[in-house]
Amino acid sequence: MKNKFSLRRAVNNMNLVRFRFWFQIAAFAFIVYGGYIGLDLGNKLPTFACVYNAEGTGGKCYVGMLQHDLKHPIDVFMGYAGYAFLISLVMFMVWFWVLNKGWCGFVCPLGTMQDWLTMLREKTKIRFSEYSWANRGKIKSIKYILLFLLLLLPVMIANSVFGIPKLPNGLSMPFCDICPGRMMIPAFTGDFNQFYIDFSSKTDIVMTTIGMIMTGLFLAGSFIKKRFFCYFCPMAALQYIFSKPALLKLYKDGSKCTRCGDCYRACDMDILEIADDVTTKNMVTEDCTLCLKCVAACPEEGCLEANFMGATIFESTKEGFVLRMAMDQRGEKHAH
Amino acid sequence: MHTELTIETPHQRQNRHKAMEAISVLNALKEDFKSPIRSMGYFYDLFEKVYCRHEPLHEGKAKIGTMCIQIPSEIIYALEGIPIRLCNGFYTDDEIGSDLLPQKSCPLVKATVGWFASDNFSDKPDITFSPTTCDQKTKAGAIIGSFGHTVIDVGFPRTKESEESRHYWRESVKSFAVKLSKFQGKKLTKSNLESAIKKVGYAQSLYHKLTEFRKAKAVPILGVDMFLVTNAFFFDKIDEWIGAVEKLLAELEQRVNDGVNVAGKASPRIVYTGSPPIFPNYKIPLIIEESDAIIVADETCSSNRMFNDMVAVDEWNLYDMIDSVSDKYLKACTCPIFTQNDDRIRRIIQLVHTYKGDGVIYQAFAGCQVYEMEQRSVLAAMEREGIPILYIESDYSPSQHGQLTTRVEAFVESLKNRKRMKK
Ligand code: SF4
Ligand code: SF4
Ligand code: SF4
Ligand code: SF4
Ligand code: SF4
Repeated sequence: MKNKFSLRRAVNNMNLVRFRFWFQIAAFAFIVYGGYIGLDLGNKLPTFACVYNAEGTGGKCYVGMLQHDLKHPIDVFMGYAGYAFLISLVMFMVWFWVLNKGWCGFVCPLGTMQDWLTMLREKTKIRFSEYSWANRGKIKSIKYILLFLLLLLPVMIANSVFGIPKLPNGLSMPFCDICPGRMMIPAFTGDFNQFYIDFSSKTDIVMTTIGMIMTGLFLAGSFIKKRFFCYFCPMAALQYIFSKPALLKLYKDGSKCTRCGDCYRACDMDILEIADDVTTKNMVTEDCTLCLKCVAACPEEGCLEANFMGATIFESTKEGFVLRMAMDQRGEKHAH
Repeated sequence: MHTELTIETPHQRQNRHKAMEAISVLNALKEDFKSPIRSMGYFYDLFEKVYCRHEPLHEGKAKIGTMCIQIPSEIIYALEGIPIRLCNGFYTDDEIGSDLLPQKSCPLVKATVGWFASDNFSDKPDITFSPTTCDQKTKAGAIIGSFGHTVIDVGFPRTKESEESRHYWRESVKSFAVKLSKFQGKKLTKSNLESAIKKVGYAQSLYHKLTEFRKAKAVPILGVDMFLVTNAFFFDKIDEWIGAVEKLLAELEQRVNDGVNVAGKASPRIVYTGSPPIFPNYKIPLIIEESDAIIVADETCSSNRMFNDMVAVDEWNLYDMIDSVSDKYLKACTCPIFTQNDDRIRRIIQLVHTYKGDGVIYQAFAGCQVYEMEQRSVLAAMEREGIPILYIESDYSPSQHGQLTTRVEAFVESLKNRKRMKK
């Protein structure tokens, strides 16, 4: 009993920032280099394990697969292709349910890269920016628009929808064309071949140019705004649709919340509900990346918790808070 | 006139009266209760030194007056000032202030104004920052300014839910920091603010450890003693306060091991809320604890609210620290001046549950509009929750003692009955 208690205490007192930093590095290495040692988790991962990182990847991105799955004439889709699509989707869901949005906060290489850029900015002491509240609402919907397009465009290549002529084949993987993952992830294995503009057709010129711009924005944006890209990410939108039954949860006990806003301040995604909502229990909102920074920043005993299949795995405690903020000693000097 | 001077100046008389008020409370604390705590001696001496012997604590230091808890002491400490909170609990000063303010004003405000009017301080603030919280505090700032004292308003929003309020308050705090920095001729830096945040955070964490002890069945410390400890933070040297609380913690630890209970076995556990108990106006808390009940938690700006929520910083850079500090003083605050009272109600209920309270006692100072107005909402919420509550209106005068005692005793008795019935 005593032992269990101290393990729990040790977990709740942990330095989440450090834990997450190393976990992300390990996950990054797994996803980006896993293929070199023969790891392969298949091609339905709910995270950006880019297919263009052909040699290295330890698993592959479902968004890439999804676009591929949808590019079939309707009659084929009604047949075997439809089954294949369903099986893929179920695989994706199963993977996703294990970690829920935790794939974003702990695994996604694009998320991790953004966090590294944030660390770099912190070192330079440049202030982070925030989206204005007027725009924050509008930004939220962009990822759904992107998701809708990446589902629709492949269908429109193989079929004529509403009598509109079929789209050119250059759009077969429309989101991959503009996804920063396509350039950034292979780059970590020394493969810079994705940095190019494809002049083979008009569509290709446009799409690959947007892709280059997106990558530039990804790098510059996430330097000044924490998790800049995640606000627009269609993977996040896709994930959120299936988030409710997932096993990992972020729970809040509103009766213990003082609405102090500490969690909101810590949240890289500026999720106001995490502080202000005192009635909902499940706090995994659409933009949430389950990074658990809010849990680490909450000073109220047991107010926020990460819960896996009904068991608390990490929860907010006063003691943990004081330790993480280095307020546990009276001296002026604190080791960081 | 001359002969009068050799006998007793008005200041001397004021000090004598205040000393009498102070000593009677200190004596009650020291003598009226069983199993006194040795390390509370530090606090008894501190109050005696300042309020009975009128000795200054901070000679040669810049004393920065604050009119409410919303002025961030982290920033004052970072700029090497001594924060002195000017909320006053003396009836003597209340009477002086009564001549300057409307009859129906809040005694706390009257006492603060009276204190300034008499210009009789052991540690006189060199400058005062006045957050525009309740109407009376706001106005008091201006009145004190008219006495020739430097008072700077710090705009405080009355709605805390909106993002506009958050921005407004952050700007207010920044401008406060700039003004104080000019006044002090010192720069606010990453390192001095960081260490001030951590020091105040450490002091807070000690307070939280103290409150842990109050969750137990056998409570090792009285509520009135706790009020004294938190009130000392208004003006004490922070390092010495920290040292004294560390000692107190060690002693409480020992008391818990020895099973010491300052209350009786059947004493009802009270959660206290409302207008702040400020030394020496411990009228209601003393009556409660002399009536065989024990205060196990409180929701007031002179104690729990002052220490409860802690500053959380994400990036330890100057700008982020200032924003974090600002947010803490606005978002976590459960003061009734805000348009919505929900956070305060939720907090009281939560305290009742965590500290296993048997009932709530809600004191409002006669003349304190906001606490008087929120009485209904709190009463209704407690009724919904099935938590017994007693509402009392009081002031600083020693006169209504008998009548108040009767009401508190009756309430305590009913709580005891309830407890018995439950068993
Ligand atoms: S380009 Fe982006 S969406 Fe396409 S497979 Fe790579 S990571 Fe996934
Ligand atoms: S939101 Fe998108 S980019 Fe961000 S971590 Fe999640 S999957 Fe990766
Ligand atoms: S940090 Fe905790 S107590 Fe504060 S607002 Fe967030 S959930 Fe509530
Ligand atoms: S709500 Fe919490 S877990 Fe979700 S993104 Fe924000 S800080 Fe991370
Ligand atoms: S007790 Fe009421 S009127 Fe007096 S200062 Fe506090 S809020 Fe204002």
